[in-house]
Amino acid sequence: MTKSYSITSLSERALLVSFGNVIDEATNRKIIALKQLVNQNPFYGFIESVPAYSSLAVIFDVKRVRLKNPEYKTAFDFVKEFIEMNFEESESQHSNLKANNIEIPVLYDGEDLGFVSNLHKQTKEETITIHGSRAYQVFMIGFMPGFAYMGKLDERIATPRRSSPRAYVPVGSVGIAGFQTGIYPQASPGGWQLIGRTPLKVFDKAKVNPCLFAPGDNVRFYSIDKEEFIHLNEYCI
Amino acid sequence: MSIAFSKPGLLTTLVAGERNGYRNIGVGPGGAMDQFAMKVSNYLVGNQEDHAVIEFNFPAPEIQFKQSLLIGVTGKNFEVLVNDVIVPLWRPVGVEKNSVVKFKNKSSGGRGYLSVQSGWKAQEWLGSTTTHLEVEAGGHRGRALQKTDVIETNENGLGVLNEKGFPWSVSKNELNKIYSPASEIRCVPNAETDLLAPEFKKRFTTQALAVTPQSNRMGYRLEGETLHLGQPIELVSSPVDFGTIQLLPNGNLIVLMADHQTTGGYPRIGSVIKSDLPKLSQLGSSDSLNFKMISLAEAEDLLLSMEGLINQIKHSCFHQLSKYIAR
Repeated sequence: MTKSYSITSLSERALLVSFGNVIDEATNRKIIALKQLVNQNPFYGFIESVPAYSSLAVIFDVKRVRLKNPEYKTAFDFVKEFIEMNFEESESQHSNLKANNIEIPVLYDGEDLGFVSNLHKQTKEETITIHGSRAYQVFMIGFMPGFAYMGKLDERIATPRRSSPRAYVPVGSVGIAGFQTGIYPQASPGGWQLIGRTPLKVFDKAKVNPCLFAPGDNVRFYSIDKEEFIHLNEYCI
Repeated sequence: MSIAFSKPGLLTTLVAGERNGYRNIGVGPGGAMDQFAMKVSNYLVGNQEDHAVIEFNFPAPEIQFKQSLLIGVTGKNFEVLVNDVIVPLWRPVGVEKNSVVKFKNKSSGGRGYLSVQSGWKAQEWLGSTTTHLEVEAGGHRGRALQKTDVIETNENGLGVLNEKGFPWSVSKNELNKIYSPASEIRCVPNAETDLLAPEFKKRFTTQALAVTPQSNRMGYRLEGETLHLGQPIELVSSPVDFGTIQLLPNGNLIVLMADHQTTGGYPRIGSVIKSDLPKLSQLGSSDSLNFKMISLAEAEDLLLSMEGLINQIKHSCFHQLSKYIAR
């Protein structure tokens, strides 16, 4: 049987499991399943795992792994074998992953909403309805603390990034880029098409668990009006 | 017990050990750029390695000592001046109250670490006191130090001597193991190394690369003859690490440093070995470097040797200090 994944080294303390170079829900679920399995049954010296679209980094303490497993020439060899031995189990589990369902209120008044609707020859209301019509999978969190990449979007609203990125995107902005959607957890420069904003703090540094999302979560957006936005606003502005 | 900053310096922050366990929510480990120098500065004054220390760059800060304190300064390519008198690096130094401490660099590059006995008071965020500038958390109010900032020590004096220095220091031989030869940066293969076209694979490790002024705590941008993949490829974002060498679309290279993002989309053509990251962190914009590819097994062994050396320095520091200070 040929392996459906490859294992390479990312650094002395990090091993990379890769399932190819794709963005799709099924591949990402395999990554999340492997992540959960490793996190729940860690080896001695395990530090953390980092899921991305179709790859997972496993970070470890080289010294601990070597001390515990002196029969291996490298810590990498041990962790590689560990992943290979656990892989089949994670394969059988990825249909029943632990994931949260999260609902995100959005005031759809983004500066690019008109551009997105026009591009797809639909009304703004249609764009909004389609955006809220399915639950999106959180593929990964990266780019900045708390930025969750979610998808995939209905092709009827998928839109390329802006040709010139904005120097300033306000915190809470909800955007579209290709077949993905996401929320800016902090103000930053950015090139996503902005369709609205959420009053929720998706990343709150004051909380023990600062990030509202975890990779693998299912996120659904729903439309709110200005009044509800003010009522729900978690930012003290 | 405190110090005040009469000049803040270009970028002066409280740094500590890495913030582990949060890469999956996009929060990278951060921490000191030169973790060897950071840890040793702590050991010099009898601290454990994860106490917050002050990381400074040049132009450097100027600091007023309000009380007498035992400090340790480590780093490369600069001098420490206490009331305009040079005092040694890599050695515990008693600084008397009302002294002014300055740093003078000898060449470009170089960054320093200033520890104090009992540690500088710093805010903890997600398990580490190291400053996260982007989120504005940890360290001192989550930001770089500013003029007139006052930084306090964790505890009052534990018995500081009025000596200008103690009769031991980290040896030249020990420092050479970490920092020499300065321009040789060893690396190991990474996920996309084999995608480099063969002629460029050779160029990668034979040419001298210049460290550009666009280098900072997030990454070092290097310039040389450009490198290219055999086949262009569009990659989806995937994890990266401190030391990851990425190939940019223009053919130049960037080495990701302590404040790197947790994931990236550029081809990863190598990874600077952990035991050469302190050395790389001390290079500045007029320096150049050469990459040398070694095996992962060698790199792991070098990492273990560095950790062994750090441990040896720790024991030696604690042993020496115990002769002078009741701990």
